[in-house]
Amino acid sequence: MALNPLLPFLMAGDPSLEALPGYLSEARALGLEALELGLPHSDPIADGPVLQAAAHRAIARGATPRRVLEALAGLTDSPDLILFTYLNPLLQLGVASLLRLLEPTPVRSLLVVDLPFGEEPEFEAALREAGYPMVPLLAPTTCLERAQALLGTRPDPGPDAPFAQRFAYVVARLGVTGAGQGTDLAPVLRRVDGLKAISNRPFAVGFGLSDPGSLQAVRALGATPVIGSALVAGLTSGSSIRTALSACLG
Amino acid sequence: MTDAFALPTRFGTQALGGCYAPETLMQPLLDLEAAFCGALADPAFQAELKAELRQFVGRPTPLTPAPRLAEKLGLKALFLKREDLAHTGAHKINNALAQALLARRMGKTEVIAETGAGQHGVATAAACARLGLRCTVFMGVTDMARQAPNVARMRLFGATVEPVAAGQGTLKEAVNEALRAWAGRCTTAHYILGSALGPHPFPTLVRSFQTVIGEEARAQVLDQAGALPDAVVACAGGGSNGLGLLVPFLGDPLRRLAVEAGGHGRALGEHAARLDGGRLGVLHGCKTLLLQDEHGHTAETASVSAGLDYPALGPELAALVLDRKVEVRRASDDEALAAARLLCESEGILPALESSHALALLSALAAEGAATVLLGLSGRGDKDLSTYQSRLEC
Repeated sequence: MALNPLLPFLMAGDPSLEALPGYLSEARALGLEALELGLPHSDPIADGPVLQAAAHRAIARGATPRRVLEALAGLTDSPDLILFTYLNPLLQLGVASLLRLLEPTPVRSLLVVDLPFGEEPEFEAALREAGYPMVPLLAPTTCLERAQALLGTRPDPGPDAPFAQRFAYVVARLGVTGAGQGTDLAPVLRRVDGLKAISNRPFAVGFGLSDPGSLQAVRALGATPVIGSALVAGLTSGSSIRTALSACLG
Repeated sequence: MTDAFALPTRFGTQALGGCYAPETLMQPLLDLEAAFCGALADPAFQAELKAELRQFVGRPTPLTPAPRLAEKLGLKALFLKREDLAHTGAHKINNALAQALLARRMGKTEVIAETGAGQHGVATAAACARLGLRCTVFMGVTDMARQAPNVARMRLFGATVEPVAAGQGTLKEAVNEALRAWAGRCTTAHYILGSALGPHPFPTLVRSFQTVIGEEARAQVLDQAGALPDAVVACAGGGSNGLGLLVPFLGDPLRRLAVEAGGHGRALGEHAARLDGGRLGVLHGCKTLLLQDEHGHTAETASVSAGLDYPALGPELAALVLDRKVEVRRASDDEALAAARLLCESEGILPALESSHALALLSALAAEGAATVLLGLSGRGDKDLSTYQSRLEC
């Protein structure tokens, strides 16, 4: 199966921060346009066992938010990065430090799992104005009316902007990241169909997709599948990005 | 989008609280708030809750004068609000029962809960047994070992106890896992959060179901002593007991105190005293005072008391503290243990380790000039017998 379209997820600092530039370079060489990079957090309440363990390994090896962003500084041989994170580490850095750290990196947008629109309006506005929009999340519990409102609060900057700044993330199923074998895809495919009727922006679909059939079904709808836990598990066992992704793609 | 909530989501001048939840949980939280408002406005719900609190929980709980302990401490009078005599042995049942009624009203078939000391887990398991709801309780493995009798009680009530081995194996990890489980089952399950924590509407909901403690205590002390005390004091883990006792006294001219776990030292990781080194941060869905490292990672905590061993103070209590309406003090493990022994010997009451932290403050209050004190005895100490036996050599 073709590699693209695909949105891979890596946990920064797992297995090491030193390995990160190499992974990003490999991802770019594979033709991947964008990549989600997880900022390891002590209490990842939306993550399943694989990403929890990866975050805790990374923290134990010293992958603090500051060090992660410093490791990305000056990198050009990389896909556009979407920083996948929880709110508190960003709040503790503060807007000014965060923007200083982001400026020399390939990060183009932020996906903050526990930041609903409107909870930190000044923080979010400052980031958006500096060129770092928040990715809207749409869950199985998000009705179409609410989805329309959410997409309006974090709007599509338009076709000239890169995918990383335009897409909305569709959560495929209830629960946490990873371990989705046997997920019934019919409901999420119906949701993506409904979303496409109300918005022209690109959609990525994640949480529990790792088998060729699921990935193909998402692509058939014109959406981009996310591979997270399966890729992280593959890298943990020593695979390259190509090998780990190929194993998922079949 | 959270402006769709009907109730205020923030507390105090620093706007603590809020609803920092993953999108999957937003609609369930909106639904929960709507059900809560509907229940409060429904006389039938209120009548059933009141009847259950009287007939099942055993409310009102007594206000017991403690003259021998008062004399030893140099107080003129001491009154104990006896939540230890509520069914299942702590104040936790007030909230667990009310939320279980709410879960049934919402048509949920399963209840998820977290527990630290096990008191909230036992209370939730009991309420679910009474109402015929399936119950799953997440509990850290460290807490399961130190509060083993409560694990057995939950299982006897038919609950499934899910061990949580991550991190320190205490309350924080149990909340993480309960939130994850709820995200997976939120269409059929209700999450009964046990403390005044978490994303809106939980802090408001839990506080409103716990203020029965202070409302009763205020009327009882006026009846028994003819006047309000000089100080009202409660222990504070997340804050459900502290808010429950202190909020009804907010308009009164007296000292209101919450006592945090001082653990065994003052360095980060050696205590659970959020005012000592805690900074504003976001954990488990709310912004509040949080013990954390410089990177925004949650710090480890330590306390002999599982119920106080948590890195965040509930947002409403934290707001009351920052706005100087409630004072916060700390008591060390050793001070709490000594205070427990003194209450046992003076009054024949075995307090929970959590409540013992409030007791440990009494001699200081006497030294500071308080003559009469009302103390929230949040729970009974049977669950802590093994700790008392090993630490107090009894």
